[in-house]
Amino acid sequence: MTAVADSKQKVLDRIRAATGKPAATAEAYAKLERGYTRRGELQADALIERMIERLRDYDAEVVECKPAEIAATIAAQLKASGKHVFVAPEGLPAEWLAEGFDWQIDQQLEAGAVNRAEGVVTASFCGVADSGTIVLHHSASEGRRVLTLLPDWHLCILRSSQVVETLPEYFDRCAQPPTLATWISGPSATADIEMTRIKGVHGPRFLHVILVRDEG
Amino acid sequence: MSAISNRPILDPVYAPPFPVAALPVLRNAQLRKNVGHAIDVIQAKRARLVAEKTDWQELRTAAAGIRDHVLAHLDVYLEQFEERCTAAGGQVHWAADAAEARRIVLEILREEKASEVIKIKTMTSAEIQLNPFLESSGIHAYETDLAEIILQLGEEEPSHIVVPALHVNRSQVREIFARKMNLKDLSDEPKELTAAARNYLRQKFLSIPAAISGANFLVAETGAVSVVESEGNGRMCLTLPRTMITIAGIEKVLPRFRDLEVVLQLLGRSATGERMNPYTSLWTGVTPGDGPQKFHVILLDNGRSSILAKKTERQTLRCIRCAACMNSCPVYRQTGGHAYGSVYPGPIGAILTPQLQQLHHAQSLPYASSLCGACYEVCPVKINIPEVLLQLRSQVVDQERRQIRRFFDPMHLGLRVANLIFSQAWLFHAAQWMGKTGARLVTQKDGWIHWMPSVGGKWTMTRDLRGLPQQTFHDWWAGRAKGAK
Repeated sequence: MTAVADSKQKVLDRIRAATGKPAATAEAYAKLERGYTRRGELQADALIERMIERLRDYDAEVVECKPAEIAATIAAQLKASGKHVFVAPEGLPAEWLAEGFDWQIDQQLEAGAVNRAEGVVTASFCGVADSGTIVLHHSASEGRRVLTLLPDWHLCILRSSQVVETLPEYFDRCAQPPTLATWISGPSATADIEMTRIKGVHGPRFLHVILVRDEG
Repeated sequence: MSAISNRPILDPVYAPPFPVAALPVLRNAQLRKNVGHAIDVIQAKRARLVAEKTDWQELRTAAAGIRDHVLAHLDVYLEQFEERCTAAGGQVHWAADAAEARRIVLEILREEKASEVIKIKTMTSAEIQLNPFLESSGIHAYETDLAEIILQLGEEEPSHIVVPALHVNRSQVREIFARKMNLKDLSDEPKELTAAARNYLRQKFLSIPAAISGANFLVAETGAVSVVESEGNGRMCLTLPRTMITIAGIEKVLPRFRDLEVVLQLLGRSATGERMNPYTSLWTGVTPGDGPQKFHVILLDNGRSSILAKKTERQTLRCIRCAACMNSCPVYRQTGGHAYGSVYPGPIGAILTPQLQQLHHAQSLPYASSLCGACYEVCPVKINIPEVLLQLRSQVVDQERRQIRRFFDPMHLGLRVANLIFSQAWLFHAAQWMGKTGARLVTQKDGWIHWMPSVGGKWTMTRDLRGLPQQTFHDWWAGRAKGAK
């Protein structure tokens, strides 16, 4: 037997000696107390307002638009950014790739190439209003993790139908646990120097969100 | 410029006892000011955002329940995690102690032929003193969290588990960065200092082939690992290198993905006073085309299973490392983190460190508390820290009184005499009479004792003592019975 296998046995033996024989695991888990709030109470409009307020609270820029206006809104945002080179996930809808910019479509781009891009445009999986969090599950339209990391400017498209109020409601929307997930709450930040919140250390320093009112 | 603090020792085996280690800090006005300021800011933010949650207490109860459940079934969940993580392409290693964990890390890095490694802030790696070990083996570890860079470049030690450089102020950071990054014109604006760190590390993120992280949570159901952070340095380490090593304490596991809905609502608010930390990452083994293609998890015991065995103390392992306890602690506020002589300072350190050392070291830490209970009140997983502190104090006393050389120690001698007196009624009455007579000599007209001779003076030096009443309860009771007849 190898040393590693020995260690596993040693650690497990110690744990079992310490815990004895507890009741059946699945039954005990099912009985755990969960008295916290699962469902939100906000009506549709108030919910979106809360989402926007909390996004702005953490320095994200938010604009709203109707479903028909997405491409135009993206184009306007890109123009306003003053940037030119953008990366896009492979699955980003073609009509979102506004003309007049240098688009790098991600087909396993090298990290260096992603690093040279000035910005990135992606879709998203879910928005949690309670904490102003945007969740990416890194599907084809949300992109590999590196895309939303190296460029300094991230434009994220979030639909109002994707917004939930509470964190448990996000978990309700996961048919299966994701293998990859990144939750983003505002741009990269630090408070390591005298607890002063500074926008942007290593991740994108600018987070822009287009909230598409696709319901109501 | 002089060092921010004389480099403190954070190895409990060699660190001086808490009261000794605390003295230099208490005399360092700048350091105390830095710590006080940082803590006031975090505390105010936390209080505001916790008040915003109407179900805070229910979340705490649920989190405590989930964590207790995991600890009771730890073997089941760890094996499940190993199985699922392995199925997803990860490689799971078990380390019984610090030396073993260090050796596993070194073997992986040697295999990768890595001479440099980038790191996300990880308490487990600090606990096993990984950096000096790697350095002595010819591998340089680059810390990437801003606070950790400040400490690494400034040759300083961490004093807090969430904001490790909170004892360093902006002008001290400027001085360190200007000197070590060779930036003569750097100002002390936090924004400019942060940008300096961004530039300093970007190339390293893109070129160094291996990274080391800790884990905030392991998910048994899926084999996933979760890391929460603010800056994005964590995401860099999790995404760019070829090889990734995660060192996780065995207690870090959660049963299901869904359980994150509880702990992640508590963690950000408790730790930094944010509704959610800027970035939370979750990954499962290896994903083709996205992120490191080799992934190792080291499950670290290093004394944890010995804590598991004890009924009262087991709750220590519920901890999710938010640091709310140290932010609320009146003792930590005065001494800062270095006095605790461990990488885990504050109230949680005062109970965790001596237990990880199995009480062979750090016996002074359970006394580094006024038992005011503020830590228990803010703890998101309801660890009753005062209760564990008392339990550990009793163990320290038991340990001491078995030592021959402490036989004539005034405290132990006194307690043995008290034990004798309380066991015999006649001895008790005699002692009462003697006490009354003796106390009369030092009791002032106002009925208080302001001064006592000898060891008693240690009490009256800082506190007054009420004089003994003329009539004892026994006297009064006996008199009352006679009068009734």
